[in-house]
Amino acid sequence: MNAITRIAREEWRLWMRSKIVIVAALIVAVLLIVTSVLTADRITAEQSQRLDQQIAAEKTFFSQPDRHPHRMVHYGHYAFRPPPPLAMFEPGVDAVTGQSIFLEGHRQNTAMFADNKAAADLGGFSALTPANLYQLLLPLLLIVLGNALFLRERESGTLAVMLAQGQTGVKLALGKAVALLMVIAIFMTPLIAIAIYSVNLGESMLAASALVAGYSVYLCIWGAIALAASIIIKQRAVSLGFLIFAWLFTAMIVPRFAINTSSAVIYAPGKIESDLIMLAEQRKLGDGHNAADPAFQQLQAQVLEQYGVEKIEDLPINWRGVVASNSEAELTQLLNRYSEERMTLEAKQSHMFDLFGLGSPSIAISSLSRTLAGTDLATHHRFLRESEALRFDFVQSLNKVHVERLSYADDINRNVDAASSMRARVNSDAWQVLDAFRFAPDSPQQRLGNAGLSLTILAIWLFMVGGVILLAAKRVKL
Amino acid sequence: MAIPLEARSLSLLRAGNSVLDDVSFTINAGEIFALLGGNGAGKSSTLLTFLGFLEPSNGDVLVNGSSVRNDIAAARSAIAYLPESASLYGHMTAYENLSYFLDLAGKPANREDIDAALDKVALAEEARTRRLQSYSKGMRQKTAIALALLRETPILLLDEPTSGLDPVAIDEFHDLVKALANNGQTILMVTHDVYGACQIADRVGLLRGGKLVGSFSAENGERIDTETVHAAFAERETA
Ligand SMILES: Nc1ncnc2c1ncn2[C@@H]1O[C@H](COP(=O)(O)OP(=O)(O)OP(=O)(O)O)[C@@H](O)[C@H]1O
Ligand SMILES: [Mg+2]
Repeated sequence: MNAITRIAREEWRLWMRSKIVIVAALIVAVLLIVTSVLTADRITAEQSQRLDQQIAAEKTFFSQPDRHPHRMVHYGHYAFRPPPPLAMFEPGVDAVTGQSIFLEGHRQNTAMFADNKAAADLGGFSALTPANLYQLLLPLLLIVLGNALFLRERESGTLAVMLAQGQTGVKLALGKAVALLMVIAIFMTPLIAIAIYSVNLGESMLAASALVAGYSVYLCIWGAIALAASIIIKQRAVSLGFLIFAWLFTAMIVPRFAINTSSAVIYAPGKIESDLIMLAEQRKLGDGHNAADPAFQQLQAQVLEQYGVEKIEDLPINWRGVVASNSEAELTQLLNRYSEERMTLEAKQSHMFDLFGLGSPSIAISSLSRTLAGTDLATHHRFLRESEALRFDFVQSLNKVHVERLSYADDINRNVDAASSMRARVNSDAWQVLDAFRFAPDSPQQRLGNAGLSLTILAIWLFMVGGVILLAAKRVKL
Repeated sequence: MAIPLEARSLSLLRAGNSVLDDVSFTINAGEIFALLGGNGAGKSSTLLTFLGFLEPSNGDVLVNGSSVRNDIAAARSAIAYLPESASLYGHMTAYENLSYFLDLAGKPANREDIDAALDKVALAEEARTRRLQSYSKGMRQKTAIALALLRETPILLLDEPTSGLDPVAIDEFHDLVKALANNGQTILMVTHDVYGACQIADRVGLLRGGKLVGSFSAENGERIDTETVHAAFAERETA
């Protein structure tokens, strides 16, 4: 056995003989296992539940009776975003963004929470995710184990004895590092188990192993910070104090500051605020339900000319449907402009937040973890875009039915009596216009690409702290 | 053959204060050199300089003829060092401590070797499997001495080796050191014990305020005279 592994083994002997360390490690291990199992259970349930809900929504839509097509436009449809497999480790923004959306004509609704019941079931435990524990609690455990790694030898005089046996400071530091690495390896097992399970649920090997690698690097950074402090700082209380402060600073203060700064520097109005502004513009477009709205005069002239007729009653198509279809297109353009603007700003904010990872490995790992799991903001935005495309598509398909399969005369007389109302209905076979919607995460290659910045930042951190350790260990003095 | 230990006009600063001032001596193979001096005289600092833990501000220290600063690793592998306070791990037994440090020294020892060394320092057998946190000061000191012995290096630097030992153990230790010297090992020993030093040392150096102020040798097979050394010590201390 070489000196480095020997030093690591003796460190372990000390830990195994210390009750505090064992109790702390056990508490962390139990917490990790319990939250992993609970979250995995919840997410797998939600995953199949949302797929079922999606299929059920489609069935319900298809099975609607004969109706006026515009009633179907308002009957609407739902889009669901099932959690990706790795959400059982990192629920990410899913916890705050909502995972289902009601799709109807003339509106872009906000995403809602598919079920609030799930959170209540866990009695608040849902906030305690495995990712949170890895990001916040494990660094604390590494601080407890690591703050005195080197210092203890210095305090007890055994550092002199070790060096006098011909060991260099670098070898001592490497031995201690190996001891911590073994701790990290052990505490990575729950995550590795989740990763394997997620691969069974259809997650790609690439994304799952990149996640494992990212967290390994993150924990190594914290182990290295603790080790560096124990080499450089000469008093135990100072070392522990410094490390706790570093933890508070990087895990609590910098992220708060990063959120505040990025939202102050890049101002993105909330949905309600931008909706109010948009409403003013929307009024100018005219009401698509009212074909007589002066806003549609130009369109009317154009369509009449196209068909070479004088009056809308003489058109071979349903003028009300034409208005509905046109105003939907114009309105959607407006809505999309606003929502694209909002999403662009949000994406910029999120990018700026990611850059703060240079000042806090916690930011880098949380961003990496969301991106790889497919629970990041970008994925949510894609869900909004795809569900909007689905919405526009089925609404316009229904409007086409309105234009082509319902005569103008029947349409305007629909409210005269029961018989006329029956005539203003379209056969339900026309409802087969809905595309199946199955939201899927980005390809693993793409997610890995998106996580590139965070991964680079983490690598820089590890490289720098590792360098500090080597420098300090080389000039270690009694 | 190279001189095992040599200090050449050695001066040393610690935290900006002069701790050693122009100290020179040589110790030949098989010699026992006792460094005497009051508290804070610079005895322990001298040993630390030979180990490369402290760097001379002036002059040089040489181990086996080569300057320590040029090859600290060579110096440390030639020297077994007994620190002032027997610094070993309280959470480990004597066996575990010794086998660990000997592994680090690249000189692994088996149970029999360790038992033989612990027999030499007369550490009670029942204590050997107990953790050092339950040891008395003398027992810890004996364990630390055993470590120095087990290294089987040509040179031993011993910082107050008899502190904490009972009179019988001190006598046994003196016999042990003499046997080592007869075996060719070179010994630099720091102590407050004038009597003990005169009993076993071939030469005694007297350190005061960082200066070597006296040197006494055993002439024609006789021991160094305790009275003379004691008088010199006392005179210098009160001067
Ligand atoms: N870590 C240190 N930093 C700064 N100065 C020190 C340090 N250790 C010792 N000194 C100073 O160096 C001088 C010599 O100390 P040293 O330990 O060598 O004395 P000593 O002869 O071994 O004393 P003692 O008999 O008490 O062990 C003293 O003046 C002391 O104040
Ligand atoms: Mg001393």
